[in-house]
Amino acid sequence: MVFVKAQKSKAYFKRFQVKYKRRREGKTDYRARIRLINQDKNKYNTPKYRFVVRFTNQDIIAQIVSASIAGDIVMAAAYARELPRYGLEVGLTNYAAAYCTGLLLARRVLKMLEMDDEYEGNVEATGEDYSVEPAESRRPFRALLDVGLIRTTTGNRVFGALKGALDGGLDVPHSDKRFAGFSKDSKQLDVEVHRKYIYGGHVAAYMTTLMEDEPEKYQSHFSEYIKKGLEPEGLEEMYKKVHAAIRADPTVKKSEKQPPKEHKRYHLKKLTYEERKARLIERLNALNAAGAGDGDEDEDDE
Amino acid sequence: MPAGHGLRSRTRDLFARPFRKKGPTPLSIYLRTYKIGDYVDVKVNGSIHKGMPHKFYHGRTGRVWNVTKRAIGVEVNKQVGNRIIRKRIHVRVEHVQPSRCHEEILQRIKRNDELKAEAKARGEVISTKRQPKGPQTLASW
Repeated sequence: MVFVKAQKSKAYFKRFQVKYKRRREGKTDYRARIRLINQDKNKYNTPKYRFVVRFTNQDIIAQIVSASIAGDIVMAAAYARELPRYGLEVGLTNYAAAYCTGLLLARRVLKMLEMDDEYEGNVEATGEDYSVEPAESRRPFRALLDVGLIRTTTGNRVFGALKGALDGGLDVPHSDKRFAGFSKDSKQLDVEVHRKYIYGGHVAAYMTTLMEDEPEKYQSHFSEYIKKGLEPEGLEEMYKKVHAAIRADPTVKKSEKQPPKEHKRYHLKKLTYEERKARLIERLNALNAAGAGDGDEDEDDE
Repeated sequence: MPAGHGLRSRTRDLFARPFRKKGPTPLSIYLRTYKIGDYVDVKVNGSIHKGMPHKFYHGRTGRVWNVTKRAIGVEVNKQVGNRIIRKRIHVRVEHVQPSRCHEEILQRIKRNDELKAEAKARGEVISTKRQPKGPQTLASW
């Protein structure tokens, strides 16, 4: 038996107020966005930059974005998918890769603004809290961290990206409370632990544990690492090389792929009115022919 | 007990948000810039409780005389008894809209400048004055 009472009436739909589109999609936190975008009115058109960090299942996206009424403008972007160019091929979404992506974005932006000589940042990643000091001629590039909808727990990868950007030379207001290695009991950042995370030490430790205890799981889990011949001890060296390569050439490389001349169609093409009418006539004809042989001919003009 | 004349008295409907527009305010409100001398309309956004003007100013238009971190200073005319006073209030940007009262004049200025430049190039003298609509001729009936 159908329970008619549970239906939503027409009145319900008439009064229903939809949330903003990006809220319905669950992608934007408007409360946070207002606070990030709002510029002091007595600064007029001065842009307020956000350092946006987002994680997908296989990629890290770091962007410097400023807001405008027509739409947000991305000044510079860095993706973890670009890291193979600098020598990092596996583990593209871990804490160390997030650090590399943040670093890449920072160097890219500074190079774009021709500030990269003034603001070297922290060349040797030690894991301790580093903030850019203002140089003589220009003030450092300031951006505000935009984490999106993630839960900001201690040791989250967004803070890895944040650390990369800070060491790259950007001025992002922060505290060290959420970096990996911060201990709640002693209320201090354990620099050694943070440094370990930046160089993939936590991954290396897991690799050695698995190699001893569960070799099959090690084979399946770290298959890409094994294919590339990466040993747990060599990870730190590799990351150091990647950091150096990033600092050497952070410019964007245009991909040589041509955009396809005809776009691949992902869904069925919508029929036009005439096509739909023609289809209907065909179907009716077919029905009439299949049904009783002497059906009416009038139905053809439907 | 009598009704009372508090700050927000009699504003139940005036400050209410429109139908199906409750909740978060659009971000473009925060991205607009105002310069001193602009004309703005004061329209209260009931969901933002800070920096609200008094209900008298709802619907008034004035000029910007001050710009601070989050608010705009607006100069509005108010009739008090037998005179009109220029009152200066500070209002948060959520309660303010750029006014279109001045738009027509600004467009006309731009257009007239163009016409004058063209005429100068041609060597003519033109009048860009607006002419009032004259008496209707038989033809227009």
